[in-house]
Amino acid sequence: MAHETEHTTHHPSFNQYVLIAIILFAITIVEFLLIWDKAVIVDYLGPSKIPLLVFLSAIKFAIVIMFYMHLKFDNRLLGSIFIAGLVLAFIVGIAVISTFVGFEGEQRSFAAQNAVPYVEHEEAEETTAPGEKETTETTETKAPPAATGPVAIAVSAKGDELAFDTDSITVDSGANITITFTNSSTFNQHNLVIVQAGTKDAVATDGITQADNDFVPPGDPRVIANTNLLAAGASGEVTFTAPAAGAYQFVCTFPGHNFTMFGDFTIN
Amino acid sequence: MAHAAEHEYTTTGLNHRKLLMWVFLGSDCLFFGSLIATYMVYRGQSLVGPYPVDIINVPVTTISTFVLLMSSFAMVQALAATNADNKKAIVYWLLATAALGSVFIGFQVVEFNTFKNEGLTLGGNLFGASFFTLTGFHGAHVTLGIIWLLAMAILAAKGRVGSKTALDIELLGLYWHFVDIVWIVIFTLLYLIGGFDAGPAAISGG
Repeated sequence: MAHETEHTTHHPSFNQYVLIAIILFAITIVEFLLIWDKAVIVDYLGPSKIPLLVFLSAIKFAIVIMFYMHLKFDNRLLGSIFIAGLVLAFIVGIAVISTFVGFEGEQRSFAAQNAVPYVEHEEAEETTAPGEKETTETTETKAPPAATGPVAIAVSAKGDELAFDTDSITVDSGANITITFTNSSTFNQHNLVIVQAGTKDAVATDGITQADNDFVPPGDPRVIANTNLLAAGASGEVTFTAPAAGAYQFVCTFPGHNFTMFGDFTIN
Repeated sequence: MAHAAEHEYTTTGLNHRKLLMWVFLGSDCLFFGSLIATYMVYRGQSLVGPYPVDIINVPVTTISTFVLLMSSFAMVQALAATNADNKKAIVYWLLATAALGSVFIGFQVVEFNTFKNEGLTLGGNLFGASFFTLTGFHGAHVTLGIIWLLAMAILAAKGRVGSKTALDIELLGLYWHFVDIVWIVIFTLLYLIGGFDAGPAAISGG
């Protein structure tokens, strides 16, 4: 392949390229073994595998730019330009990370505490219940504005547990129900969904892919009513007319919560 | 390089096109560096799933990483064949490189589809947003490289690529290897290290 003396001095030979490829493959295999749980190595390494993986990929990186991109044999200026870009990229990375992480330390809890729940019918609700803010413990004083015999029910999450503070709710068929759900958790997101009896897990499973729709499958006939997905500390309400008498359930469909966070919703 | 018989005026003693390619690659480092930094900032900050541990498939991606490394080997062979004026081998190795790159993209398409079906979307959570943006832009780079490879393969098949124009293939090779080293970094950070990140409660110090 490389018979011209011109190129044998500047580029590795075919055999050397094969050797480089084998080294790159071998390093990748080692990397994979380091994190593959069936190879057991990962159990011994623990968190120390991270600097090891970074080191191994840095070696691969260096081999490719030195030999495949021939920086080792080429003019130093070309290498300097590339290294300058690489160093700048590192500095940008460190700057971005320190800007965000140094800022609050705990982004997620910061976001959870400061999240403002989006309440779709906020304006409409304000006209029916003026002066009432959607915060905790206000539902008992909510004035019944209409003559259809509205029923106000307050439900809360059981602190940080994956449970509601009540196991059962009973209402009359045809009643105008307003459920105010307060998410009293300090970090979990919750919703409250009324579903046909025995369908809570099926609905929650179908809702997993519906993060955009508060984890509720849209247009699902098994769902009677639902609140929005509420951030920790937020509250929201849902108003609906109780359907035919029978057994129903209320459940939180946030992925994984449905197994412990539910109760019986009975309509007489 | 002596075979690049262009006597252009230069104050650096370097070919301008090659210099330009290295400047571009240096600046592309900043592009990917910013996206990677964004991913690291948002790592473990998603409020809802799916989380990396739920969907990242490290063994499958290890295979596609192999494929991309293999394509880099094919690329250096294409350049060696160009320098040796081996016309058939140039076409063969360029097509091999493009084919291996296409296999890598195929893996990525299947992966993106699987993730979408598992509920990971660009707008679903921070993991989805930063993951798809980073790996998507890398995939776009690979796709551009494949188009470039195919274009050069057509020129080579017409006999218009040889040791006199080896710089054309060399620049393509630089670009292709750069895309490979970016993937080396992405694979390590997003898959080997970040692929086991679980939900909010399980991550410490993220």
